Amino acid sequence: MKKQKVVILDNEQLNNHDLGAIHKLQDGLSKVDQFPVYTPDLQWFENMVVTEKEKSRKKLMKELSLFLIIALLILSGIIVSFYQMPVVFLFIQIVTPVFVAFYTINGLRKKVRNQ
Amino acid sequence: MDPLVKSAKEGDHLAFAMLFKENYPFLVKYLMKITMNPDIAEELAQETMAKCIQKIHLYNGQSKFSTWLISIATNAYIDQCRKQKRESNWKGQEEVYRKLKWHFESRNEEWNDALEALGRLPVDVRVPIVLKHYYGYSYDEIGAWMKISSGTVKSRVHNGILAVRRELKLGEETEGRHTRQRTTK
Repeated sequence: MKKQKVVILDNEQLNNHDLGAIHKLQDGLSKVDQFPVYTPDLQWFENMVVTEKEKSRKKLMKELSLFLIIALLILSGIIVSFYQMPVVFLFIQIVTPVFVAFYTINGLRKKVRNQ
Repeated sequence: MDPLVKSAKEGDHLAFAMLFKENYPFLVKYLMKITMNPDIAEELAQETMAKCIQKIHLYNGQSKFSTWLISIATNAYIDQCRKQKRESNWKGQEEVYRKLKWHFESRNEEWNDALEALGRLPVDVRVPIVLKHYYGYSYDEIGAWMKISSGTVKSRVHNGILAVRRELKLGEETEGRHTRQRTTK
């Protein structure tokens, strides 16, 4: 019984040391909160919002057009192969689902292994 | 939901600007605590605001807007650290607290050894400590922001505090006594 009491006291002391460290950290960090921070005026923030929105709109347009160009290229390739080279068309039709299935299963396996 | 946030979500630039102006000092001060560098903090605050504009449609109003900003800022900083590590341009980050220490000295403020100990910790330990023990967020919230389990956050915070204690030489006597007890058994 006595032994157990000693252990409990030691644990309490350890927790107190943890609290001591936490208080010192909080003290230091609260000093950072007292630092003056220069805040730009409302106009600056508004300009930033407009610029960022314009930037993301341009990015979206770029990505969308790239997607459409690639989609058109793939589709025209498939149509050409259907009329000109039916063997190639059949090959693509078989290989694509196999590749997609393999890729998905592989990805899932990796995820499970990482967990 | 805050009417200002509602207007910002509907595309009102002025509402967005007012929200940012209101939360800017809080954001920069949070970033100063985790980056320990006022210049990087200001840079990241701008990056955070840019990400916030892009992701405003994802904000559901369940938490405060400032909390949402903190979660974005945390991820922006962690991403930046990973990128710098990948580019092996890590020399500037070895003693992250130097710049903050200089700021303390220039303001005639007494430098706190605990901050130095905090600055020596790796980013993925330093950030949860600040979020937990200064801002009072829960392990679950921090885990969700950092995309790790709350158990991992808890152990990182615990080990981080132990490291700070070791640096501050708090409780060395007790630990010594523990070791002595064990060796005599």
